[in-house]
Amino acid sequence: MKPDVPRFLDVAMQHLMLHTGPALPPGYEQSSVSVLAILLAEVKLEFERAAARRVEENAALRALFADAAPEVADPGLRERLAAASRGADASLRVSDLESGNAELRALLVELHGHVEELDTSGARRIEDAIWSELVASTERRRIGIGAF
Amino acid sequence: MDEALADRIAAYAARRMPEASELRVADLERIFGGASRETYRFALHWREKGGGADASRRLILRRDPPGSLIETDRAVEFGAYRAFHGSAVPVPEVLWLEEDPRWLDHPFFVMEEIPGCEASPPALMAPPYSDHAAELAEQKWTILGEIARADPVALGLDAVMEPVAPEACWRRELDYWVARVDRDELAPQPILRAAIRWLRRAPPPPAQKLSVVHADFRTGNFLVDPDFRIRAILDWEMAHLGDPLEDLAWGINPLWRWAKDERAGGLAPREEAIRLWEGASGLRADPEALRWWEVFSSVKGQAIWISGAREFTMGKNQDLILALSSWLAGNSQDRAVLHDLGKLG
Repeated sequence: MKPDVPRFLDVAMQHLMLHTGPALPPGYEQSSVSVLAILLAEVKLEFERAAARRVEENAALRALFADAAPEVADPGLRERLAAASRGADASLRVSDLESGNAELRALLVELHGHVEELDTSGARRIEDAIWSELVASTERRRIGIGAF
Repeated sequence: MDEALADRIAAYAARRMPEASELRVADLERIFGGASRETYRFALHWREKGGGADASRRLILRRDPPGSLIETDRAVEFGAYRAFHGSAVPVPEVLWLEEDPRWLDHPFFVMEEIPGCEASPPALMAPPYSDHAAELAEQKWTILGEIARADPVALGLDAVMEPVAPEACWRRELDYWVARVDRDELAPQPILRAAIRWLRRAPPPPAQKLSVVHADFRTGNFLVDPDFRIRAILDWEMAHLGDPLEDLAWGINPLWRWAKDERAGGLAPREEAIRLWEGASGLRADPEALRWWEVFSSVKGQAIWISGAREFTMGKNQDLILALSSWLAGNSQDRAVLHDLGKLG
């Protein structure tokens, strides 16, 4: 699809900032147009990475689950972790990747709460691995305009 | 200008000012950025009693939207403004509270406008305001100390804000915001859930006193005049009685580092903010207790962004500020949790 979507979004942002916004009287609508331009900048960032970051994260979570399963005391949770670690993304459509990511992140919440209650060196190792993954997850989602 | 809304506001003002005549609303303009209330500025013009002199006043209308980031009772917000008016905590004068939706479709209140001031964080981070960051910080944290020092009973705020025992402050707030997350979450939140478990495992000591908690005290929610004086503290919609450390922790949350450096609220180092607050409040910010409230503030913040995302997604309120705040703040708030729990390295 040409022009490329990021290029189109650049032009759309410029149009909003340089033409549409200034043509409006100062106030609510003009501010809304400015915010719309900022949001399009974030859409551009997300368009480029949307599939990649989900594929990367889903793979990282499956690897983490494979590593963690033997350390888990609860048999039911252990089995679900093992099953999830053998899973694969349904497709490369973002909606499919997002759906799979939600399932994996829900399981991560459960695993994290579980290992926090275990008093073993293996549990601490898994807990550290979870925190590392959570730090990585915020980097994958990082946007350009945050104050922090 | 929305002429129909202007006429309805004028009709309402006429009811509240029975001795005035020829009331009309001019220059009605919606102010961008109100995520919890629709905010409008306008000029009210009228003729004094008995065909007397022409008069006018600049006013602000705060109206409940169909959906918002924050669901609160506007009577609490109105009560807080009224209680602090004329005190060491600068606030606008409030005039009318109306909860009958027949006037403007939703409940609202009206207060004075304080014109010629700046509130926008990006503007306050730039010259000439940035040249006065230290004096703004001193005013800001001293005012917050005054809020903490105030006696809620003497202010009459125990009549509109639900009392809570000092040892129950943390649980009431945490339970409230966790319930919001449980209700509104659109996707699993592993960092937020870990923070909630951390908070429940190690609760803070009882509040050293029961204070009024503004609950959104941050750069962006006060008005600075051209002489670099803070003229008004705004946005009291989440105010409640509670642990005064809650306000201090919210104010120094990393999310508000508008200057993109280490300064709390973009104005002063964290330790300086705490020192100023302690001096004005007469209270001590115990480091461990404050840390609990700092982590809590990120849980509360994330709950607010999650609720905004849900409102936008469900079409209940599609103000672009909801999308912006959810995208922008959601990721930063996760990073703030990681920072406060010592996981960012």
